[in-house]
Amino acid sequence: MAMIELQHLTKTYGSGSGAVTALDDVSLSIEQGEIFGIIGLSGAGKSTLVRCINLLETPTSGSVLVDGEDMTRLNGRALRAARRKIGMIFQGFDLLMQRTALANVRFPLELAHVNRAEADKRARELLATVGLAGREDAYPAQLSGGMKQRVAIARALASKPKVLLCDEATSALDPTTTESILELLREINRTLGVTIVVITHEMRVVERICSRVAIIAESHIAEQGEVQEVFLHPKTEAAKQLVLPSRSGKLEGFSEDEAATAVDECRGELIRLAFDGSTTDRPVIADMILSCGAPVSIIYADTRTIEGRLYGHTVLQLPAARETAEKMKRWLTEQGITFTKEAQ
Amino acid sequence: MSFSQILALVPEALWESIYVAVISTAMAYVIGLPLGLVLVVTAKDGIRPMRGLNMVLGGIVNFLRSVPFLILFFFITPFTRLVVGTSVGSSATIVPLVISAFPFVARMVEQSVKEVDRGVIEASQSMGASNWQIIAKVLLPEAKPSLLNGAALSATTILGYGAMAGIAGGGGLGAVAINYGYYRQNYLVMFVMIVVLVALVQVFQEFGTRGSRLSDKRIR
Repeated sequence: MAMIELQHLTKTYGSGSGAVTALDDVSLSIEQGEIFGIIGLSGAGKSTLVRCINLLETPTSGSVLVDGEDMTRLNGRALRAARRKIGMIFQGFDLLMQRTALANVRFPLELAHVNRAEADKRARELLATVGLAGREDAYPAQLSGGMKQRVAIARALASKPKVLLCDEATSALDPTTTESILELLREINRTLGVTIVVITHEMRVVERICSRVAIIAESHIAEQGEVQEVFLHPKTEAAKQLVLPSRSGKLEGFSEDEAATAVDECRGELIRLAFDGSTTDRPVIADMILSCGAPVSIIYADTRTIEGRLYGHTVLQLPAARETAEKMKRWLTEQGITFTKEAQ
Repeated sequence: MSFSQILALVPEALWESIYVAVISTAMAYVIGLPLGLVLVVTAKDGIRPMRGLNMVLGGIVNFLRSVPFLILFFFITPFTRLVVGTSVGSSATIVPLVISAFPFVARMVEQSVKEVDRGVIEASQSMGASNWQIIAKVLLPEAKPSLLNGAALSATTILGYGAMAGIAGGGGLGAVAINYGYYRQNYLVMFVMIVVLVALVQVFQEFGTRGSRLSDKRIR
């Protein structure tokens, strides 16, 4: 069953000739218990989209069903009650700076008039869950970014939500901290069964924890599907731009000068290898060089190994000698590695 | 008038000045604090935008803020007499002081509360907070250090206005400075009263700053 169902969602700011469309006929279905990614460049409308789910933004038209309830029909008290079933975390953590970690986590329970002793008990448990036992009395100013986001996660979970919305939740954190926060989110998804929606502009966040992803560009959903499928075989231009950052025009950071200083032998065509997880993490390029007896230049590489399988892209510059280049391509084909010619 | 005679005037005048300033500040906050909150809440980017009300209240505040204190003091004499039964003395000073200070206080409160991070308010809304809960549990507690600073500034301003009222029958340090010092041309009296006033302002300011710093959990 779908936990979140967005139907023909449109959001327009202003009216008349000055109207700006932030979302244009967006339909999306997010299943119960999954981690769903929404990725897009800034200004694409992803923040507006996530704010429409708990109605922090009122959609201009369309409906938002969360756990079977149409949020757009709710008002006042009923809307506030429905919002308690949807936790949310933010890029800036947005903790109450004058409250301790414990009091921050207790905050949503106070809003729901849970008695103090029970609220304190639950807040303590949650802080322990996110790995902050012992830091109950610390104020946000005394905590690091990662710790603040952990407090925010505990706070979001306090009212036992069915859905957790993450709006660029790791964008202000360094890579190591990002990794640990993502791990925590995955853990929460696994143990509590909370449906998680991740809004981000970073591919690695989606790759790391999402099962399905929607790419949003220019107020539309450009593409959606399984993460692997969308990332390895992007169909739309918007998706390609996000997934293959150096696709358009020249390769980033690859200047003519650098090309000139590359080994003379390797002045041939550029090819892009796509690793879709079917190859294990054996040294493909080294093998190719050894078996073909000629060097290549690695122009660009963005690959990672997940569960022993290789994913991502590598751009190679093949030798200028045509026979050698052809031999390498044949070798790659034999190995079952897909590649495309890269515009130079 | 000997120096010791001058000093003998200080305790009662000091007490009157403190009494007038403290009562006036408190009453100015009774009106100004809710008013300032309403100004923030009903603003265009507030949690409950109400254009008409916001414009009317903002207009009243601006109007009262534009009237110089002494003019207002004389202008509302009939009203003061109606409220406290007299238009001279310390208690009579409180009425014009409050009327002149509450718009100032409202703006101070508005400034402080506006500093509360928009994101925190949005986060509270996402957790199902009502507007009243946001005011009581987010806006006021988060703005507390800044509000305390503002209160110290308001109190010192009101103290100064209170001294000014000495020229028109008010009591306190200002009245002594005018009556014994200016009219009798005893500059020593004026000087002593100024020193006491300055010291009093320092005390108020120090209280506010220290209170603000102690209550602010963002530093430390």
